[in-house]
Amino acid sequence: MENFLRTLATLLIGVALGLFATYMAVERGYGFGAVNAGAWRAWPKTGSPEADPYARAVVARTGEIPLGLAEGLMFIADSDDTGAPLDPKCDYTIRGRTPPARYWTLTLMTPRGFLIDNDLKRFGFTSAEIVRERETPLDVIISASARPGNWLPLGRPAPFVAVLRLYDTIVRASASAIDARSLPSVVRGSCS
Amino acid sequence: MKQLDRILGWVPWIFGALIIAGIVHILSILAMPRLAPNDSYSQLAGAAPLSRLAPLPAIAPGSELAPFEDPAMLASICRYDLDRGPLRLRGNFGGDQLILLSFHSRFGEVFYSMTDRSATRGVLDILVLTSLQLAAIEAYDSEDELPSELRLIAPDKLGYVIIRGLAAQPGGRDTATTRLNALACGLEASLPG
Repeated sequence: MENFLRTLATLLIGVALGLFATYMAVERGYGFGAVNAGAWRAWPKTGSPEADPYARAVVARTGEIPLGLAEGLMFIADSDDTGAPLDPKCDYTIRGRTPPARYWTLTLMTPRGFLIDNDLKRFGFTSAEIVRERETPLDVIISASARPGNWLPLGRPAPFVAVLRLYDTIVRASASAIDARSLPSVVRGSCS
Repeated sequence: MKQLDRILGWVPWIFGALIIAGIVHILSILAMPRLAPNDSYSQLAGAAPLSRLAPLPAIAPGSELAPFEDPAMLASICRYDLDRGPLRLRGNFGGDQLILLSFHSRFGEVFYSMTDRSATRGVLDILVLTSLQLAAIEAYDSEDELPSELRLIAPDKLGYVIIRGLAAQPGGRDTATTRLNALACGLEASLPG
């Protein structure tokens, strides 16, 4: 009787632990294969036939339609260059170069990948519409209140991530490392 | 001593629980693409018909069909069921606007992707089929010339093709829509020409 109870407990604990690990893996991100560059992180293999089982599980769970290898690459920043999480009470400047790509877009989203409504209905910038200086192709300011320049409004004070997409880029998924200097910096400004 | 014996007695049980946890974890990760109720195919199944290119609604807060979709993109999708026959995608890209195509199987594998730049002379001509269908078509191929279309073997009979067009400027949405409308998809038998 004691052995039966022990076996049952072992089974139950094992199943619970296994499912918990799966839950954590699926809710937390795309498993292995993440490429970090400064504040940015990408999962280049998600959109390829070589996607690992964790990436597949996450994509199936969220319903995301990943960009294919040839289409482009998506980078997400949930923290600034110092590693501090993006704070909706603060201003941020995203500024610098981008890897060679036909177009890029920069969008603000919730950590789950949904748009954050704002009065201007401005959710992001494309490389074609941005007002730029010569040496800095990307210069965007994120703030809850209006700012001069390429202002990306933060509609409501809720957690957010910055999403940088490179379309038709030569940055390949085979790259296991991407030079952080080739991506724009994320710098915190004043906070309210 | 007796207490140590009791503690040691638990060790194999703990190991057992960990091994079971590992197996359950691996199996559930592998099964996730087949079990997840809200994967992209299920979401899109309600939004788009089979074997026809259908525009997806513009991306707006609260009405996204999928997470992490770029609001600067317009998208059309073509769902397919290869049991009905091979799927043909055809059209002209024209212009210099960015157009992206990716081919997704039912359970989330992206088995091919391309941009308008990689098309020969700006023409899109792709046949999606099963390996059986490919063998049947190859039997009729002329031996002298190469087939004009790109033939893709799909890993699964069900899936979808998503075509995205970038509206690089806020005013560019109409142009992007026109570009997307210049592309068509359908069952191989039902497309003229």
